[in-house]
Amino acid sequence: MRNPYEVLGLKEGASAEEIKKAYRELVKKYHPDRYMDNPLSDLAEEKLREVNEAYDYLMKNGGGGYQQQRSYHQQQRSYRQQHSQQQSQQRQQQQQQQQRQNTGYGYAGDNQMYYQIRMMIQNGNLAQAQQLLDSIQNRDAQWNYLQGLVFLRRGWYDRANVLLQKAVYMDPNNMEYNDTLSRVSNQYRGYQHNPQFYRGGYNREPDMCQICGTLWCADSLCECCGGDLIGCC
Amino acid sequence: MFGYITPDKPELKIREFEVFRGYYCGVCKSIAKQAGHRSRAILSYDTAFLALLMDSLRDEPIAGKQDRCFIHPLKKRFMVTRNPSIEYASDINILLAYYNLKDKWQDERNLLGPVGMAVLRRGFKRVKRKYPTLIHDIENELALLDKLEQQKCGYIDEASEPFARIMQKVFELRGKDDATKAAMGWIGYNLGKWIYLLDAYDDIEDNIKNGAYNPLVVQFHYGGEEELKSFRQRIREETEFSLVYSLSEMEKAFSLLEIKKNRGILENIVYRGLLMRTRNVLEIGAGCNEKSV
Repeated sequence: MRNPYEVLGLKEGASAEEIKKAYRELVKKYHPDRYMDNPLSDLAEEKLREVNEAYDYLMKNGGGGYQQQRSYHQQQRSYRQQHSQQQSQQRQQQQQQQQRQNTGYGYAGDNQMYYQIRMMIQNGNLAQAQQLLDSIQNRDAQWNYLQGLVFLRRGWYDRANVLLQKAVYMDPNNMEYNDTLSRVSNQYRGYQHNPQFYRGGYNREPDMCQICGTLWCADSLCECCGGDLIGCC
Repeated sequence: MFGYITPDKPELKIREFEVFRGYYCGVCKSIAKQAGHRSRAILSYDTAFLALLMDSLRDEPIAGKQDRCFIHPLKKRFMVTRNPSIEYASDINILLAYYNLKDKWQDERNLLGPVGMAVLRRGFKRVKRKYPTLIHDIENELALLDKLEQQKCGYIDEASEPFARIMQKVFELRGKDDATKAAMGWIGYNLGKWIYLLDAYDDIEDNIKNGAYNPLVVQFHYGGEEELKSFRQRIREETEFSLVYSLSEMEKAFSLLEIKKNRGILENIVYRGLLMRTRNVLEIGAGCNEKSV
């Protein structure tokens, strides 16, 4: 096992507070939700496991404040379990919903196909998924959705976005399509508004000097034309 | 390479800025050693970033010294000494610059092409022998790109694919294990896509004037009578989506790397510098490319 402090990006002998903070940040960073449409999801899972192990180890051998940390950690763990249970339940529900939908209308042959395509996308087998998608004639909402997912995974973001929107347009009540579309736009906005970029910066807002200068210019111009913007000068 | 990958300079610490410039100088020196002093002109920020990123995955501390160079003879500067990452980045710089010049000559009959190629020829031959598979991949992708350009491909995703894949191959080649290779490859792919599209947006005016191929012009059906300014405005949102989404995917791959040093500079580039550049190019007339550090 690697040095647990190193895994959490800490110096040896970091306090319990620091460990918790680093742990929380890393869990957020490697969270499965964040890597859902990313080809590196396996790697992220691996990282998360490493982080959890390191945290477990440090909390077990942490010394002072042990009791308290332990309970916090258990909370965390139960939260994680709950969360993953919730997720798997959600997935099951989605699948059931999907099946119900599929038995309702559409061609039986296509449904079998769609199921296969979903499995292929999940396993990262994009080329085969694309082949199957190409062979389907009836391009309904689900076809657009799955094709969008394939494009998203392989890096064709523009077309992915268009197709996902189309899927939602064709079947506005489908939760799965809506979720994916909002996930995509959240990721887009999330990066654009990342705290490192938005913590204020050097060349973002006009500074005092610029504001005063602009006012002064505006005032002079007004005075040239016989008016006055700022009465006192 | 286009030199779009730069840090947001005012947000760097002075020490960080010097280290970044140290890598830039290191790559420059390495190019001179490999292909002669006149070849230094091809130096690009993008390969300085490649050297920085690759070197940051290694455990060894940064090795460098204060030194003079004949382009800036008056003041000594910190320069990173030649190491495998710097050497690789400078080789890549030579390769891509050579292909770029070749393309310029074939497409536009730009005289800069043969002149530059003559200067680079010796270095290019030397470098070419070192990376037979990479060269093979790059030439395949460039042939595909050429075909797409001739067909006037109407999808920006498809048109940007070959260059993105070249960058993917370039970034993943020296990864020490499969995980690093995958993450580096995805960084390269998305940066390549971003560079290609950003360059296309930057070149809209020139391309329309010369009648040259531009994927944005084809995909968004530039009519001819439309004002350039309003065309740029019209396609801005969709272009911005592809650009920023590529960067967000790049950031995810970056998060999975084991960064051993230079974290401040890298995070500045990943979270600020690239967004800053995107914004500058998208805002009309503000594509101020800084020339040199």
